[in-house]
Amino acid sequence: MRRNIIYVLVLLFSLSSLAAFAAAGAGASKAFNPDISANFLGLVLRDTRGSNLRTDARHNGISFQEGELQFTADVDPYFRASALFSVAQKDNSTDFGIDPEEVYAESIALPVVTVRIGKFKAALGKNNQLHTHAYPFIDQPLINQDLLGTEGLNEAGVSAAALVPAPWFVELTLQGLGTNNAKIFNSQQSGDYAGVASLKNLWDLSDSATFEFTVFGTEGPNAGGGQSYVYGSDAIMKWRPAEGGKYKALIWQTEYLRGNLLRQATPQLSGIASWLQYQFAERWWVQARAEYEGLQPKSMELGSKRKQSLLLGFFPSEFSGFRVQYDHLLADGQKDGHDIALQWNFSIGAHPAHAY
Amino acid sequence: MKIKLATLALLSFSGLLTGAMPAQAKLSVIAATPDIAALVAEIGGSEVTVDTIAKGTQDPHYIEAKPSYMTKMSHADLVVAVGLDLEVGWMPSILRGARNPKIAPGSNGFFELGSTIEPLEVPEGKITRAEGDVHPFGNPHFTLDPIRMGIAGVALAERLGQLDAPHAAAYVTRAKAFQKRMADKTKLWQARIAKSNVKEIVTYHKTLTYFFSRFGLKNPAILEPKPGIPPTSGHIMEVIATIREKKIPLIMVENYFDPTVTNRIKEDVPAVRVAVVPVAVEGAPGIKTLDDLYEKLVATVEGK
Repeated sequence: MRRNIIYVLVLLFSLSSLAAFAAAGAGASKAFNPDISANFLGLVLRDTRGSNLRTDARHNGISFQEGELQFTADVDPYFRASALFSVAQKDNSTDFGIDPEEVYAESIALPVVTVRIGKFKAALGKNNQLHTHAYPFIDQPLINQDLLGTEGLNEAGVSAAALVPAPWFVELTLQGLGTNNAKIFNSQQSGDYAGVASLKNLWDLSDSATFEFTVFGTEGPNAGGGQSYVYGSDAIMKWRPAEGGKYKALIWQTEYLRGNLLRQATPQLSGIASWLQYQFAERWWVQARAEYEGLQPKSMELGSKRKQSLLLGFFPSEFSGFRVQYDHLLADGQKDGHDIALQWNFSIGAHPAHAY
Repeated sequence: MKIKLATLALLSFSGLLTGAMPAQAKLSVIAATPDIAALVAEIGGSEVTVDTIAKGTQDPHYIEAKPSYMTKMSHADLVVAVGLDLEVGWMPSILRGARNPKIAPGSNGFFELGSTIEPLEVPEGKITRAEGDVHPFGNPHFTLDPIRMGIAGVALAERLGQLDAPHAAAYVTRAKAFQKRMADKTKLWQARIAKSNVKEIVTYHKTLTYFFSRFGLKNPAILEPKPGIPPTSGHIMEVIATIREKKIPLIMVENYFDPTVTNRIKEDVPAVRVAVVPVAVEGAPGIKTLDDLYEKLVATVEGK
């Protein structure tokens, strides 16, 4: 609690200092202010298997889902820094806490490679690198939540991402991370590290279509004294016509994740999620997703889950959006779950562009 | 084992770092839009190679920052952008992803032509997004003004000369020739438009502001209620009333917008002429140069 109060005070002090600079009207001072943006996500949820307790972070009824405050600027001729603080309800409480979701600096003067240091989302698949407001659906795929946790693999560490000389886009990323992830890298030894590797490819099929294929994996120690391995791949086809592209687009994305967590309670877990997103008018999208989790050997008798989702999105502008999503969840040995959620998202300030 | 892996990783990266692309005899230039690419080709001649990011049929405000553009820019000697915040939604991502310090903003390898011309519609006082997609540094669609493009061409020649000193004189010569040709043609185009008797035109977006300003045309109604906001039926009714009241003879719909909204207007005001027009080089078949683009716009106003 005390730490959260300190975070809030530091943040407020930073904002008031920046505001003071801006108010001073000194052109040079304003020019050096970082780009500041905020996203506010709200949610109305009705889940037949959901919680009715306000102390649960995800509960039925209306809630302020999350706020994201982001600051971005060049530090000097060598580095650019970005800090994103997440404000969300804490579990088992109605209080809100602030977490440094991503706070890092990265090189801007090196050729070929971008070196990053700080706390950041690991290059473990497309989904793991998205912030909440940028999720394709209101929630992350089941396998991401169950294998990596609701925050994903998001640790302090060092990253180097190199553009490999090739006729198409090839990016090789290697990362060394601390092991604080509660699900896979829960080693208590502060000197332990995990490694991440990712190889991303993207081909232009035409002026209108691209195909992206990425393989990735990570290895590191867990609390049981064993090693955890997670690996997977994602494939993304995007189509937006070079003529009339303001009004229609299609995305087909599939992501597979598998975890082998030696000496852990759930030693193996894997799953796949695949979805279509279709833009049928300038401000409207319709989407469908199918998921399966539990591809581990049947002899282990671990339950499986299946889920289907439908989403309709309306975006008055690029800075606001409303999405309604229906989910049907089938889990072995449990009653079917049905939920419907309405989410709104407002973005103010100078928000950096999302990755393609 | 871990040490071996670390060594391998380091060797891989050092190999990538030293595996720079072979030196090229020609300057490699990436242009943000086809208009800029056409200007670079005009001024750079055979001394440069030029590639473009946006297509002539795409809205340059909303280009997706495809990683393949990063690959293109990773080899570039110079990136030429429109500026005035036109590319703010996508250019920074591509530049960062290119990992090419030669083209970093602030370096000689990055040039925004918007900084070389006098912009129109620079908002005064505090602006908010309640006004729509307003550009704080002014309207960025200056490439539709042949005179401003002549000025930008001379500035571009200077920058090309800084990067490629042996050909500096050739760049300046071509830029001055282009500027003179644009000045001469503009006089002819102005005379043709004056003769057409068209004084006021409705557009979808404020794309043609500079063209209208140069050729003495007015733009009393715009189909978008605010920049970047799609037309509403209430606003369309207001536009129809304006067209009737002012007897506006022509609606020019920029080619990346949906022209079907004009069907309703045509039903109410059959006399109004509707034309879907390219607003960039390569925006329609046969529009290969800036001369072609301006000629097409002038001919559209004339009704040809």
